[in-house]
Amino acid sequence: MIMLDRVCKSYRTKTGRKTVLDQVSTGFQSGHNFGILGPNGAGKSTLIRLIAGSEPPDSGIVRRFARVSFPLGFGGTFHGALSGRENVAFIARIYGAAIRGTINYVEAFAELGEYFEMPVNTFSAGMRARLAFATCLAIDFDVYLIDEVTEIGDQRFRRRCAEAFRQRMQRADIILVTHNPHTIRQYCDKGAVLANGQLTLHDDIGAALESYHRLLQESA
Amino acid sequence: MTDFDEICAEAIGIARPLGAAADFIEACRVYLARHKFPENEFSIFFGRLSEALLHRGWHEHAAECAHIAFELRPEEEEIANLCAWVFSNSGRHEDAAAAYERLLEIRPRWAEGHRHASGSLAAAGQLDRAILHAGRASELDPDSFEFAVHAACLCETAGRYEDAVDYLIRAAVIAPGLSTVLRQMSGLKLALQEPDDAVALALRALSLAPGERQNALHAGELLLRTGRFDEAADIIAGSLDRYPRDEVALRLLSAAQMLRGRIEDALQAIDGALLIVPETAEYHLHRANLLYRLGRLDEAAEAFGRAAALDPSNPDAKRSQLTVYFDSGRFTDALAIGGELIRAAPENEEYAQAMLQVLHRRFETLDGDYVVLSDRASRPQREPRPPPGFYKRLRTQGRVIHALIIRETRTRFGDSKLGYGWALLEPIAHILMLSLVFAVMMRGRPPIGEEFFIFYYTGIIPYHMFVHTSSSMTYAISSNGSLLQLPLVGTFDVLMARGLLELLTDTLVAVVLLAGFGALGLGALPQDFAGVSTSVLVVWLLGCGCGFLNAVINAFAKSWDKIWAQLTRLLYFCSGIFYVPGMMPEWIRDILAWNPVLHAVDWFRSSFFHEYEPHWLDRSYLLTFAVVTLLAGLGLERGLQRRLYEPL
Repeated sequence: MIMLDRVCKSYRTKTGRKTVLDQVSTGFQSGHNFGILGPNGAGKSTLIRLIAGSEPPDSGIVRRFARVSFPLGFGGTFHGALSGRENVAFIARIYGAAIRGTINYVEAFAELGEYFEMPVNTFSAGMRARLAFATCLAIDFDVYLIDEVTEIGDQRFRRRCAEAFRQRMQRADIILVTHNPHTIRQYCDKGAVLANGQLTLHDDIGAALESYHRLLQESA
Repeated sequence: MTDFDEICAEAIGIARPLGAAADFIEACRVYLARHKFPENEFSIFFGRLSEALLHRGWHEHAAECAHIAFELRPEEEEIANLCAWVFSNSGRHEDAAAAYERLLEIRPRWAEGHRHASGSLAAAGQLDRAILHAGRASELDPDSFEFAVHAACLCETAGRYEDAVDYLIRAAVIAPGLSTVLRQMSGLKLALQEPDDAVALALRALSLAPGERQNALHAGELLLRTGRFDEAADIIAGSLDRYPRDEVALRLLSAAQMLRGRIEDALQAIDGALLIVPETAEYHLHRANLLYRLGRLDEAAEAFGRAAALDPSNPDAKRSQLTVYFDSGRFTDALAIGGELIRAAPENEEYAQAMLQVLHRRFETLDGDYVVLSDRASRPQREPRPPPGFYKRLRTQGRVIHALIIRETRTRFGDSKLGYGWALLEPIAHILMLSLVFAVMMRGRPPIGEEFFIFYYTGIIPYHMFVHTSSSMTYAISSNGSLLQLPLVGTFDVLMARGLLELLTDTLVAVVLLAGFGALGLGALPQDFAGVSTSVLVVWLLGCGCGFLNAVINAFAKSWDKIWAQLTRLLYFCSGIFYVPGMMPEWIRDILAWNPVLHAVDWFRSSFFHEYEPHWLDRSYLLTFAVVTLLAGLGLERGLQRRLYEPL
């Protein structure tokens, strides 16, 4: 269960303040996978970072009654000068996971070969994503936060990710941001639409998609 | 004449058990022969008989009798007239037409006769001759509304629209107030591809009888066809006010709203129509298209399915359903529909193409095509984890800082082979070089102790502890921006990690140097080990306090680090590193005594050398200064945490 209690969040842009959440109180129940939809620039990534705790809200509280992953979707937490192995060890240390076990898992899952020992800034974007995905999966979270990365990698890697998540979903949840309705249907059973500072939860993914489509049409 | 009636009655009485018409006629002839009926009256007899039979509803017998009568005396007007009447009433249209044409030979300018002949010929399927007679009838009696309309209808049926229009104009002149004529003419104009005239006529018809439902629907449809959607919608809506349960009008209104781009309203109208007639395939098809345009894909798919079920002969509904399933990512459903389409029409290339596309996408996405929905039911609710307690949070923080320190040692000198070794070698080399310079320049004994190296060492170690700590913490946030994206890593953690690493490094440097001096025989051990350690720790705390403050200030004033670099350089000269404050004039010393780092250096020295006990040294001043700075730094860091780093 992750609860948002009167959460406000806005950030500055060149054109003025942009409100992402305006006094939002809602809860993401455990046992469900949520897909977050919203028009471009609505602040979906910011919402994911708020849920993760990467960013503090302007006011209000985010309560997490679960072990929440870091937002999966950027290699930003990797240090370019460190090797893949050292970066993984760092993350394992932070989360108190067994370092050797984590490294072995990631090495086998990401299939980076010799690159695993090379500095991360020699990686391609796809390799970084693979490393991030594998690292996140290696650590036992209750809720995985995924930001638009389910489309990454070649088909084989995607299939393995999906398989790994299928197993993990026996005991963990996913909160997912994506534009792809197919991905949402594949992974999620509940939906949420973020627009104009409000986050609306839908019990049915179809209803969420519908409301999202309507929103797009209104704005078009 | 009464004879006839009796004879007829008797004849019919005999006929009843006999059944078939031919047998009946034969029976009649036998009967007539028996009664020695005059042969020249036969035709009259059969004529009367047929009339009587017709009245009794024996159409076939009546027609047969009339046939005999007509053949016996075709030139007799009365007989022909009667036969024509019997024929047309008993469904013998060709015979009727022949009888009427025979009559028309006798009375050539008989308008009604032409009208009758035309009707019979039309019913017999001889449209061209029917039109000839209809035209003749209307010419003979140009004031007859019915003749004109009849001729127009026949022309329209034959596809001769222009002739039809001519006749309708005649009809309209006769009955100018009748809207039906105008409406019919409007339809013809549309068929003649003159839509503007058609619309004008339709609107005139509507203005003649505004309450007439047909007029409204006709005008509305024409307006829709000519792109005048708003007017069409108004007219149809007006008609709906009068007849609210009119599904045709609702369907038209839905079309009009759709063409005006008001999809929601269109959906409402078609929903209304489907309430009245729920089983109309075309309405479901239309509704499905509207839902699709609204992006309500699931409902659209269902509506297409309804339409397809109601009208299995029309493959379009299924084809559209496939598109909707495809668009909404339901490839399994799309595949099923595609299968049905291909089974129904194996030769259709377009279906095959669509199917191929579906198969392609399904294959592409097969990796994740497991059904989460089935997992959902079986997935047990996880016990909510309680928020971590103080001890647990402390342990997590310790883990994070520990990890950060290890990472710092790897990254600070990431490119060089020696790695963290540089962090030690650099200050060692620096101290050795500078003390060599001072030793050579100043010659003789240092102010305290025996060796210049040791003297300089006692000054530079506390100073470095302060400067390294405070400066390296200045950049802790800006150089760890990406790390702060990890939820567990906060600004405090990265700051503390750097501060602790500096404490560790500089302590190691101090120990290594002292050991080195000892090995060279310059050895001097600190006389008060606890005092040395305490002074180093206190100056480190001061460094941490300044470090926190620097980090906060630097986040708001980007060039603060440059100013701080200059300040530390100034402190190098003001902290009694290569001299003792006692060598200064008193007034200068009084000013220098405000500098806490000077107290740190003197505290370190006084613990290192017992003989050195400066009277200006105030340990509590340094301690107070350090604690106040640290509290201020920590407070500011906590308060402004949210603004210290920007999201990526």
